[in-house]
Order: sequence, then C-alpha cells, then structure tokens
Amino acid sequence: MAEYFTARGLPVPRELERNPLTDWRRLSVIGGAILVFYIGLRIVNPDLSRANPEYAARVILQLFKWDTSILTPQNEFETFWDTAEGLMVATIFLGIVATGFSIVVALPLSFLGARNIMAGHPVTAAIYVVVRLIFTIVRSIDVLIVVIICGVLIGIGTAAGVVGLAFHNIGVLGKLYSEAIEGIDPGPLEAITATGANRFQVIWTAVIPQIVNPYISFTIYRLDANVRLAPILGYVGGGGIGILLFQSIQLLNYGAAGLIIFMIVVTVAAMDFISSQIRRRLV
Amino acid sequence: MAPQLQIQDLVKVYPSGTRAVDGVSLDIQRGEFVVLIGLSGSGKSSLLRCINRLVEPTSGRVVFDGADVTRASGPELRRLRRRIGMIFQSFNLVRRTSVLSNTLSGRLGYRSTWRTIASRPSHDDIAAAFENLGRVGIADKAYARADALSGGQQQRVGIARALMQHPDMMLADEPVASLDPATSHSVMKYLEEINKKDGITVICSLHFLSLARRYGTRVIALKGGKVAFDGKPEEIDERRFKEIYGEDAVEVEIGPERSIPQPMSATDAGLKALADDIDTHI
Repeated sequence: MAEYFTARGLPVPRELERNPLTDWRRLSVIGGAILVFYIGLRIVNPDLSRANPEYAARVILQLFKWDTSILTPQNEFETFWDTAEGLMVATIFLGIVATGFSIVVALPLSFLGARNIMAGHPVTAAIYVVVRLIFTIVRSIDVLIVVIICGVLIGIGTAAGVVGLAFHNIGVLGKLYSEAIEGIDPGPLEAITATGANRFQVIWTAVIPQIVNPYISFTIYRLDANVRLAPILGYVGGGGIGILLFQSIQLLNYGAAGLIIFMIVVTVAAMDFISSQIRRRLV
Repeated sequence: MAPQLQIQDLVKVYPSGTRAVDGVSLDIQRGEFVVLIGLSGSGKSSLLRCINRLVEPTSGRVVFDGADVTRASGPELRRLRRRIGMIFQSFNLVRRTSVLSNTLSGRLGYRSTWRTIASRPSHDDIAAAFENLGRVGIADKAYARADALSGGQQQRVGIARALMQHPDMMLADEPVASLDPATSHSVMKYLEEINKKDGITVICSLHFLSLARRYGTRVIALKGGKVAFDGKPEEIDERRFKEIYGEDAVEVEIGPERSIPQPMSATDAGLKALADDIDTHI
C-alpha cells in the first residue's frame, strides 16, 4: 500500500507506516506509566501487616448498630444544636454562609479579573493580571490547609470553618465568574457602546444579562461542593458535625459514627440531586 | 455647505502591524447614502468603527458636524456617539432579553448611570420604542426574546435601536451579509427609507455591487485601506470592478427584489418561499 504513495512521490501517511500494536511510541508511553506506578509503590510502601480483618469486620458491624442517643439532648445543658441532627443543620448552613461570603467578594472582583472588560488600558490590564494572580494563589491553597491556619489565627470553631471555606471559594468562584464574563458575545458590548452609553451602562446592559445564568450555575455548583465539604471541616478545627464524628471515633463509639456518616451521605445525596435539578433547568 | 462628516488622513494600524486604514480622506454630505465596497480585509469595518471610535484611529482626524470626534473625550465622545447610530453584520442584540429592552437600550446615551439601574424606562421612551419597532414592521414582536427572531427581524430591531438615538447619521457594517437575498432587500429598504424620509446620512458597507448600485447615491471602494474609487454607482464598469476586486473577480448578482416578479427556477422559488416564510412567520 505504501508503494502507491512512494511511486507518486507523495509522503506516506503515518497510519500506513505504523502498526498500532507494535508502535514503539505507544508502547513506551504505556511502559513509562507502569514504571512510574511501580516506583511510586516502592516509595510509598503500603504496609498492610497491621490490618486485622477480624477487628475490621467487627467495627463495620458496629457502624450499622446506630447509637441513637446522639439524636436527643443528653443532659439539661445540651440543646437541639448539640444533637447530631442539629449539628448537621448547622453544618449545611456553614457551607451556605461561607458560599454567601465568597459570592459577595468574588462577584465584584470577577469584573476586574475579566480580560475583555479590563483590556485597553495599561492600568486596568495590570489590575486584571493582579486579580487573576490573587485568584490563582488563593485557589491553590487547599481548603483544609486554609481552615487549619484560620483555626490558629482566629481560634478553632465554626468561625474558622466559615472564613477558611469562604477564602478558598473566593479564588474558585472568582476564576469561574471571570471566565464566564470572558466567554460572552462581544457584539452587544460594541453595539451598546455605539449608542453613547458609558462603561458602566455597557456592563449593566450588555454584560450582566449574558452572565446571569452561568453565574447562578457556578454558584450552585460551588454551594453543592461546599455543603459536601463542610462535614469534614470539624476534623481540622472548622466546627460542625465533623467534630462529633471525630469525637465518636476517638471514643470508639462506632455506632454513633455510623449514624453520623449515614446522615452525611443522605445530606450530600440530597444536595447533589437538588443542585443538578436546578442547574439542568438553567442550561 | 460644510460636509457633515470629514475624514482627514485617517490611519489605523493594529498592534499586529496591519494597516487596515491607510490615509483615507473623505467628505460626506448630509443626506448621502454612501456604500462602502471592497474585499474582505480592505478596511471597511475599521473605517466605519473609526468614525464613532469603537476602534481608536492611529492618526488622522474625524470631524462630525464641526466637532472633532478623534479629540473628544469621555462625555463629549458619548454625546457624539449617540448622534451616530450603528447596525452590525451579526445584529449584536442582547440575545437573552426582549426586543423591547434591546430597542430601549438605544436611549442609554440620554440617561444617567443611576437611572439606568434604578428606574424604569419613561413612558416617552417606551412610546418611542414601539413607534420605531412599528416603523420596521415588528411592533408585534416587542415582548419576544431577541434570539427568537429570524435574522432579518433581528437586524430590524438593530435599526429600531439605532433610531432610538435620534441619529443624524447611520453606520451600517455589512448589515445584510448574514441574510438571504430577499431579506437583504427588506433590510436595505428600511435603511433607504430612513435616509430619504428622515434625511439621516447612511454609510453602509456591502459585499454585493448590485445592492450598492440599487441603494447607494455614492460608492466608495476601499482597497488595502486606501480609497480606490469614489463616485456614482453607475460609474463602476468592468474595468473599475477589476481594479477594486482584482483581475480574477467576476461580479455576482444578488437576487432580485421581492416586488419585481422574475422568472425563477424551481429551487430558487422554493428557497425564496422559505425565506419569505421565515421572515414573516417566525
């Protein structure tokens, strides 16, 4: 087959030259990936010698023997907010409040971080670069690390959870919002500018209608992610139901831990369902 | 009489080094219907956008009604812009909002920022919007979403939006390039009407010479950012045509107007019926 091309002085198509099963390029990529995995395995050296299948089986069974005492106040000092369901509700709202704070900051900043809004003048272009750099740096620090640091700075508790979660989400939402602005159709901006409108009127009339839906969609996506994340924040000093889960496991009360895990699963599944329903209706 | 628009030695060089407009000087009188022709990339769009400074000219001057547009800053520039309407090849409507609010946005140059956000449009503005939509024959679509309209209808909303500015001049950047021949004529006729009835000067770039001949009172051809021809439409003969479009070019006729019955092939008739249908019923 290759002669057809060589006889006519044409380059032979790659597809004809290479046998996909023996092509050294493919084989070396696959071989390289396996090598990296093997080296990684040697370095990590997972040690299963301390695993006790019998004990594990017992714990798993206990996880399903739910300790329902955590669902009611246990003494006169405890209120609804000390029960597992109270903490679950508080944790959901922790995620909502953190998202709310991050929206308030990310929304105005996102306009400063959109190339198409800020291009055209050296000063505004510099602001654009700085804002996007801030978004990237803020986003690159993992939520758990931010919450741990917040716990040190402002004290362990829900405040650290809210502030840490909000801080991280300013970076995430800021980037998503900015990219939504950058993705708009520039035609209306040009047309509205041509009517004699000022910069603010152009943004109000031509930009905002185009970004409302992506903004709502991204916000719900992050709200969903934050409510999922909130239960774990208690582990690193961020408050919420995570503290109760942490304590239950430390006290070997696996019945309570199992019930809390179940409540988290139900919450996350419900959140997942609601957010996907809302987002689907927006698109 | 002093020309309404004076363009003097206008040059636009883009950062990429392209000289889109290369020393254009033109005087345009009030009431003219100027058609800009030329190959893609000959500088028609850049020239039009330099007039209202959607594109910042590199050098040269644009004087509109005695006011130097190129020197105007901030509020002064916006006051000049609102006297110059503009329509676009891709219509440039805010697609998600209603035809009415798109039309009303033509009044933005007359409103304060605060009123844009905080108050509803005035009765006068709404009355004017319906009047202008009525002029282009789509008042019944006022509450439809802009993207629910056909191309021809969207362009008519564009015209209504521009008319809201009470313009003295209308810039049209290939207003019919994305429309079929029958719809093209309907849009061009509205431009002709505002030119003749309201005395609004029109500067319109077009691809088809047949449209230029039919609607223009003056044709300006651009080639490589320079004026290659400036005169009456009927003066463009075969030789001039080749000068403007190159030796290999062959003139293509755009379809006839709807009002003139012409024998058509079966497929042409079918396409035209479809175009009419789309234009009138969607």
